[in-house]
Amino acid sequence: MKKTILALSCAVFSLSFAGGALAKDKTIGVSWSNFQEERWKTDEAAMKAAIEAAGDKYISADAQSSAAKQLTDVEALIAQGADALIILAQDASAIGPAVEKAVNEGIPVVGYDRLIENENAFYLTFDNKEVGRMQAREVFKVKPEGNYAFIKGSSSDPNADFLFSGQMEVLKEAIDSGKVKNVGEAYTDGWLPANAQKNMEQILTANNNAVDAVVASNDGTAGGVVAALTAQGLQGIPVSGQDGDHAALNRVALGTQTVSVWKDARELGKNAAEIASALADGTEMSAIANAVKFTTPGGKEVDAVFLTPVPITKDNLATVVDAGWISKEALCQGVSAGSVAACN
Amino acid sequence: MTARHTRRLLPLLAAASLLAAAQAAAQEAVVVPRFVEETASSGIDTVYAGEWEYMVGGGTAVFDCDGDRKADALIAGGAGVASLYRNASDVGGTLRFERLESGLEVEGVSGAWPLDVDGDGIQDVVLLRVGENLAMRGLGQCRFERANEAWGFDGGDAWSTAFAATWERGMALPTLAVGNYIDRKEEAFPWGSCTDNSLHRPAGAAAMAFAPPQPLVPSYCALSILFTDWNRSGRPDLRVSNDREYYKGGQEQLWRLAPGEAATVYGPSDGWKSLKIWGMGIASHDVDLDGYPEYFLTSMADNKLQALSDPVAAGGPLPDFKDVAFARGVTAHRPYVGDMVKPSTAWHAQFDDVNNDGRADLFVVKGNVAEMPDFAAEDPNNLLLQKPDGTFLEAGDTAGVASTAIGRGGALADFNLDGRLDMLVVNRWTSAQVWRSAEALPGRWLQLELRQPGGNRDAIGAWIEVRTGDRVQRREVTVGGGHASGQAGWRHFGLGEATSAELRVLWPDGEAGAWQRLDADGFYIVERGRPAVAWTPG
Repeated sequence: MKKTILALSCAVFSLSFAGGALAKDKTIGVSWSNFQEERWKTDEAAMKAAIEAAGDKYISADAQSSAAKQLTDVEALIAQGADALIILAQDASAIGPAVEKAVNEGIPVVGYDRLIENENAFYLTFDNKEVGRMQAREVFKVKPEGNYAFIKGSSSDPNADFLFSGQMEVLKEAIDSGKVKNVGEAYTDGWLPANAQKNMEQILTANNNAVDAVVASNDGTAGGVVAALTAQGLQGIPVSGQDGDHAALNRVALGTQTVSVWKDARELGKNAAEIASALADGTEMSAIANAVKFTTPGGKEVDAVFLTPVPITKDNLATVVDAGWISKEALCQGVSAGSVAACN
Repeated sequence: MTARHTRRLLPLLAAASLLAAAQAAAQEAVVVPRFVEETASSGIDTVYAGEWEYMVGGGTAVFDCDGDRKADALIAGGAGVASLYRNASDVGGTLRFERLESGLEVEGVSGAWPLDVDGDGIQDVVLLRVGENLAMRGLGQCRFERANEAWGFDGGDAWSTAFAATWERGMALPTLAVGNYIDRKEEAFPWGSCTDNSLHRPAGAAAMAFAPPQPLVPSYCALSILFTDWNRSGRPDLRVSNDREYYKGGQEQLWRLAPGEAATVYGPSDGWKSLKIWGMGIASHDVDLDGYPEYFLTSMADNKLQALSDPVAAGGPLPDFKDVAFARGVTAHRPYVGDMVKPSTAWHAQFDDVNNDGRADLFVVKGNVAEMPDFAAEDPNNLLLQKPDGTFLEAGDTAGVASTAIGRGGALADFNLDGRLDMLVVNRWTSAQVWRSAEALPGRWLQLELRQPGGNRDAIGAWIEVRTGDRVQRREVTVGGGHASGQAGWRHFGLGEATSAELRVLWPDGEAGAWQRLDADGFYIVERGRPAVAWTPG
């Protein structure tokens, strides 16, 4: 996805303003970690639409990957009169002083997609444990017994363990009863497909290729897994993933991947806008709809909303096409006619 | 146009032209040096090779190994062998090197630092390795022999990545610190497996051997360490920069090194503030001319420039640093050419004055770890020129050094002794590169070599002060820091327009030498207690 290099100006400060036509005085300030990454454009569009629909004003700043710049960005957003802040942190441990400054001035903060280690910051993300459950559930539906391999995420990423614990929750009973056997699990350094492939090759070798299903934690690692399986002529056994990567969705259509758990960025953006607006109106963090308590890896208790993702399988591929997430051409490349409904 | 309008317009025009002049002056105020890459013709052809165990390291030791006072270069080869290149450049000429057999052709070298361990006037080399570290005694004529046994140096069997040395008061031998990284046997799950760093102290004041190493506990996967007198107490402490990717519960560290006592780490009660970065390299320099060193710490995305929070605190400064990188324009957090979307990965860093304008500039070597998807793949090295207002201007592209090879270690050094600093960069998977500073610079310069009696011949721990008018540049003579790379030899100072400068050395034991005036554009050997002696290359 990195082919698109937007010719944004290189101004040190790139605060942008969008006046709301029906301004109701509230200003929502959004601090992006690196807005040039294409994936945030979808989030922003949904966020902005929701903010403006409520008659509020959207202002934003782009930290351009610099944690230091993000600190000054947040100060600038506060100075511009932000009533609530949505922060996509470049560095969860370095953003602390900016959050404290906002909190001291009574400005609520929503940590967007990435956790901020501060009990005064609300946390909004997708439910990663549920992602793990969905991955295991879809694979288990296809292969209720047999030898399972687990290709986990990067060990330095706390999400990797959330995912794995969700997977194990679903499979525990089958593992305890001996129907499902864990024949190998490995972390994937840096979430790199090449490392996932290497790990999968090792697991296949160790088991004389007697692997019946693979629970891979994202689409990148699933790609590495499918490559390793294909080299042994084993493609087509159940494999999970997440992110709705175009290549992965195509694999789902082709039948070499069972599921890609998809997080709809539009939902995340819309919810952030609504939560920020409610907090700016004085709603308590704990009173936000669907808010739960969440204990951070650093041991802090924060209020959080975890959105439910959507498992995309062969049966509901139309969802991602209808959402404009992927073109039918990209989804259905190489798919034999009549094999997948969404490709007809 | 009426006369009234004309009158109003004139001052506006004047203001506009003044503004334009001021902008032009601001641009002209920083001279951009012009570098020419001479890798192909230089004779240098060494790759830092290897897989997982060589994702860090890739250093160079730049020092004179044959007594001609030209900087020779040892380049780490990683899984391949290290190569020593004798500098065969003519004075002022193109850069030429000849690889020679030296005894340093060892596999597994990640980094290398020159220093005269035994005080015999010949530079020795410490080779840091994936495996046993080697103390290599210099024999002259660029020959070296293993001295681990002779000096009682325990080379361990770790993945070593950082080195520093200092002479503690009254000791014939230096105290060495070795920084270690992950336990390489834990490839499947390296997180949290940081190996302890070690401190190698002399076995006694007059002893010519080291005592068994002391572990520095806790250790957090160090990638750069430096003995530095951060508070000008007269006694260096040990600064350690750690890689947060692999430690659990770690942070940056500063160890107190009191004579005869075990090293202890500074904590919150001392004023120390926790900082977690992907620490890769340390460069120190008194950038703001307040007499205290600032520390540039390389990392992923933002780099840090740490200055004491309160240098004039009653009772002396606390080890409490603030980050001034953003204010000074040295976060250097993402590429300035090419793929500007993803953040950078920075390794070696060095302050030196590449345009001889009297202000230290900053050189940073960049390169992806391997293929980390969240970080820039094309990541040019930085050459940040200090402007008169103390902020820095990126000039890597205009100076001609914006290499996007996967860089690791490096050095700025005047290889052809023409008074301008040249550049060497070590790369992962592709050959090291050299650039010559090829065009005349308006600024003048001095290059100095210190010498004193005793074991610490090269006066490690001294402070060199160079005064032009009321401006005093100060630099601490250190061994360590950077990323896997170290230097010995000429200490270079830019002087700007000054045709002469005053020099004073604060020797490692605290004795201040006399101020003496030196003509600009010359090399000087500064022996303790004597007037500096000019040296002419060639």
